[in-house]
Amino acid sequence: MLAPRHDASTNEVQPACSRSSQRRHYLQRPGRTAVSGPTPRYSAWALLRARLAGDGYWRPLWTGRKLKEAYDVVVVGAGGHGLATAFHLARDHGLKRVAVLEKRLVGYGNVGRNTTIVRSNYLLPENHYFYEDSLRRWETLSRDLNYNVMYSPRGVVDLALSDGDMCALARRGNAMRLAGIDAELMELAALERFCPELAPRAARRFPIVGALVQQRGGTVRHDAVAWGYARAASALGVDVVEDCEVTGVRAAGGVATGVETTRGYVRAERIVFAAAGHTGMIGTMLGVPLPIETHQLQAMVSEPIKPVLHTVLVYVFPGHGETYISQSDRGGLVMGGHQDGFPSYTREGRWDRLEEVVEGAVELLPQIAGVKILRQWAGTTDMTMDASPIMDRLRYDNVFVNAGWCYGGFKTIPASGAAFASFVATGTAPDLIKAYRLSRFATGHLLDERGGGPFPVRL
Amino acid sequence: VTELTCPFCGPRHLREFEFHKTLPAADAGAFARVYERVNRTDLSVEHWQHVGGCRGWLLVRRNPSSGVVLAIHLVGGGGAE
Repeated sequence: MLAPRHDASTNEVQPACSRSSQRRHYLQRPGRTAVSGPTPRYSAWALLRARLAGDGYWRPLWTGRKLKEAYDVVVVGAGGHGLATAFHLARDHGLKRVAVLEKRLVGYGNVGRNTTIVRSNYLLPENHYFYEDSLRRWETLSRDLNYNVMYSPRGVVDLALSDGDMCALARRGNAMRLAGIDAELMELAALERFCPELAPRAARRFPIVGALVQQRGGTVRHDAVAWGYARAASALGVDVVEDCEVTGVRAAGGVATGVETTRGYVRAERIVFAAAGHTGMIGTMLGVPLPIETHQLQAMVSEPIKPVLHTVLVYVFPGHGETYISQSDRGGLVMGGHQDGFPSYTREGRWDRLEEVVEGAVELLPQIAGVKILRQWAGTTDMTMDASPIMDRLRYDNVFVNAGWCYGGFKTIPASGAAFASFVATGTAPDLIKAYRLSRFATGHLLDERGGGPFPVRL
Repeated sequence: VTELTCPFCGPRHLREFEFHKTLPAADAGAFARVYERVNRTDLSVEHWQHVGGCRGWLLVRRNPSSGVVLAIHLVGGGGAE
């Protein structure tokens, strides 16, 4: 491939500016802004053409589109769910005028802050059918988007520490198998064969007795999901507009007519909110109190090391501890645990939670004790009162909200995008998401997957 | 937030405390009290319990955007303020 050319203009000292304008500068390097037209499809043939065409053949993945005055659908939030919804609106329902408005940057929120795990090992039928639809879509997503999202079915291992744990996992595994989802209950010997790096007979505070394994679960490169959807949506004519915060909704005669933004008023036939941890604020903005609380969920990654772990381990240990850990293709150990446990918008994580997650990780894999943590961060999660999502209308007939993804939003992006786009385009919720209506809290049809009662956190 | 100041025990590490719930608006009915949340970005009024200390129930006012604790009282009143 062509070596990057030295360009004196990029060495200039940039004036102090926000992160997003720095990013725009990066995207619009000299020699790239002048080129217009659709992003080229990735293929071996495109590689060859790019070699012959020289510099300027590859374009930015999505272009900084100008905000128009009116749209068929305005999607608020350029995270995974918002971009996927816009992509499916354009591809499956032929809507030509769709915009995704983003307060900060594409992928700034939870789509770039999660631990990249995908799985469909849920207990309740409403949940496991929906999450399984998503897992099936992950399997083909790279082809659908023409962008490699690096889906890696490396297995998700839920560890059991007691006979009681094994019973609970057997129940969940059986529920999954009845729904046609792969699940294997492994006794200790089978677990040792599947995951020898775990050394389950090592001296531990809490002995491992077995596990529930979903082999098709695994990881997906999270940033690639945001970029892939943004690129694919942009190629279909969707305007992805960054640095554009929605500050209000205008309505007339009981119908929403558009959104107020920091870049002016935009008319919209339909409005979709996919604002994750900031959905509670949107409820406040529209005068509708939602059964949502915003909590911090933190994650961390170690320095890159040689392969030590080939699968995803989920370890819930006594004393409310939890660790899930996998190793990225770059070699970093990606770890997370419980939420911080109280409402917050700070995007900081509490120190003792980090300590607890690392404790669990080192107990599972004692050989990583000397590895350094490279980065730690937190995301704002929209916790509902039954830990299941909300996909419904909000106050107005033409305002839709896709929220309440709690700690599980990333894995559902492909299914959520397809189903929600269908809901927004046709006005009728597909069967797959009917259980996620907002009224379930009032009618008592809760989806309490965790079995924890009307609290957003585990107590 | 790394510590909270218990009106009874003084400043203690956050891990000694357990968040219970955010409090609804004063005039809320039963449904709203259980399920609906106020979701203000500048103020959160909460019940916590000092489970790792005096086990007292605390009324905590915090700014959830900055993380600053504005006030802590024992729910039943009293304490060493």
